[in-house]
Amino acid sequence: MRLLLVEDDVMVASGIKLGLAGAGYAVDWVGSAERALEVTRSETFDLAVIDIGLPGMDGLALTQALRKEGHAMPVLILTARDALQDRVQGLDMGGDDYMVKPFELPELLARLRALLRRSQAATSATLTFGPLELDTALRQACIRPSGTAGPCVPIELGPREWTVMEYLMLQAPKPANKDKLLQALTGWDKEITPNAVEVYISRLRGKLEPHGLALRSIRGFGYRLELQAAPPP
Amino acid sequence: MSGTTIGMASGLQRRLLLMLLAPLFLLASLNTWFDFRSADSAALQQDRQLLAMVPMLAGSVVARGATEVDPPLLLMAPPVADFLSERPGLSAFALVAREGSVLAGDTWLSGMPPATGEPEFSSQEFDGVTYRIVSQRVNTVAGELVLRLADGSDPRQQWLRLLWFKVGLPNLVLTVAAFFAVNWAVRRALRPLLELKEAVERRSPRDLSALDAEGSPDEVRPLVESLNRLFDLVNAQAESQRRFVADAAHQLRTPLAGLQAQVEAWAQAVGATAAQANPDRVYMESSPLALVDIDKTAITLEAGQIFKLRQAVRRTSQLANQLLALSRADARSAHTQPMQRVDLQELCESMLETHLDAATAKDIDLGLEAVEAHVTGHTWLLRELLGNLVDNAIRYTPHGGRVTLRCGWTRDDGQAQEHPFLEVEDNGPGVPVHERTRMLERFYRVTGTAGEGSGLGLAIAEEIARVHNSHLQVLEGQGGVGLRMRLVLPD
Repeated sequence: MRLLLVEDDVMVASGIKLGLAGAGYAVDWVGSAERALEVTRSETFDLAVIDIGLPGMDGLALTQALRKEGHAMPVLILTARDALQDRVQGLDMGGDDYMVKPFELPELLARLRALLRRSQAATSATLTFGPLELDTALRQACIRPSGTAGPCVPIELGPREWTVMEYLMLQAPKPANKDKLLQALTGWDKEITPNAVEVYISRLRGKLEPHGLALRSIRGFGYRLELQAAPPP
Repeated sequence: MSGTTIGMASGLQRRLLLMLLAPLFLLASLNTWFDFRSADSAALQQDRQLLAMVPMLAGSVVARGATEVDPPLLLMAPPVADFLSERPGLSAFALVAREGSVLAGDTWLSGMPPATGEPEFSSQEFDGVTYRIVSQRVNTVAGELVLRLADGSDPRQQWLRLLWFKVGLPNLVLTVAAFFAVNWAVRRALRPLLELKEAVERRSPRDLSALDAEGSPDEVRPLVESLNRLFDLVNAQAESQRRFVADAAHQLRTPLAGLQAQVEAWAQAVGATAAQANPDRVYMESSPLALVDIDKTAITLEAGQIFKLRQAVRRTSQLANQLLALSRADARSAHTQPMQRVDLQELCESMLETHLDAATAKDIDLGLEAVEAHVTGHTWLLRELLGNLVDNAIRYTPHGGRVTLRCGWTRDDGQAQEHPFLEVEDNGPGVPVHERTRMLERFYRVTGTAGEGSGLGLAIAEEIARVHNSHLQVLEGQGGVGLRMRLVLPD
């Protein structure tokens, strides 16, 4: 994954670069919006992390300019101003998410993963979460064993199981609301009950758990697709 | 006017009443006293009248009786006759012989004659009537006799009775009427002052807006104006203090962001090394060493040190964030933004999502019991409030515990109207009753808790509750276990 970091503060930039590099991203760092525009004309990036408070052209203007030039990559805006106004403005101008400085690295990584997953879902037919891959065009699910270059091992999902699985994948790593899950299923069955959802969930659990994936129940809310802490050998 | 108003107005109003009514009452009393003193002169006049009658009574004795024991012959002089006829049953006379026997007239007037020739006055009660009696030895045609005249009409008593009706009663009525009139007038005149006092008392201690100076009477206006000047001054000072805290916190965050980004990256690198060294991802804090390359100069840091450093930086960042939030939650800055309709259920759901990872890391069962509810408020402030409550709950609940977010409608005992509420309950150690109020204060730490938080989270939450015209309730969890933080909002 190639990532563009636009940040003028050297301390912040080098820290983020180090952290993202450690998480497996290739990071290109520029210190100004003008430089960022230059770079994006010749290179392509999967994601951009842009600070609002840049010298010269600011981060919001840069985001707008990037969108105007036709770049569809997800943009995460960094801001030291946490006022509501900034957030609304940032998202209006084409930012996909925002984070308030200072932040914790794991949270930044989680947000970047979520942004990437969303842009992936929008641009390609394949959804991935850990070892699980969902081909939304062919409606096929398979498990790609980690650490090996072997082929994706298909797993069988019934049509309703597929709907539930797809919904959970689209939401991950956020939890999926049970009511919304129910709505997603009503296209199949008018008379679907919350108990039926539980049946599909427990069936999916049986199929996913051997591959290190868990469907955690969130009391009073719904379910979340998670990677199990220690996958069985 | 209500009883409380009287109580509140007591000082000035009571003094005015006292100062106006006391002289009036004194004057009325003096007036009455002088009039009552005139009753004495009335008595003196009666004595004089009686004395003047004595020679006339003596002159009425025209001849001796036929014998020594026969009464002398009387031909009443007209004034004496008038005197007697004017007071039927209340007057008497007697001609008494020297040895004391009554020769003529009313026998009850017997008695020893006066020792000298001078007239003697005495009062005597007879048949229920108090008589004023004059006795004098007089030489008449019938020899030396003692003449006695008694007057029971008692003009003193009559005069007093008259005075009571003519002077005392009007004075009393006047005093009572004056009391009510003065009372009313004083109240009426003091009403603007009372209203001002009530207006000042009614406002919350945080409300420092100006009072209405135009509506106040001229005498009070300078007071209102100086109060307003004072309010302005306090406002300006509070505002500049708030701005200072906000600016300082804001300025702090940029260098902190850099520091944190660096340390986070190191910590991650250490974590990755540790994970590689140990495939089971069981991480030992002290064992692995991290090599950090800064400008080509290698230094060696123990992994545990880096994690401690990261913890310190995270806490410092959090403190800066919270200081900023606290200054933003201030009523004056919150009111600059309009309130919106806030969906509490949605708020709870998003808060659950945000804190799910933190809860999962501690194996805490974070759950939701949400009913569709909404309020008019500041979304970002309520989010901050709920975030702080959930954060605290997860922080202080031990591994494997249970934290529940709730929202919905509640009603006070015996009241029909339902209010929306937010609630976070945990089954952690709870907080002793005597610390529950203090735990909402800034920088207060509940005794026995690990030094994790900044001590600002709940102060911010309480401030936000106040902006929404409510307050945080610190309660026990179900079954007396844990802590239940509750915010009931006016809708």
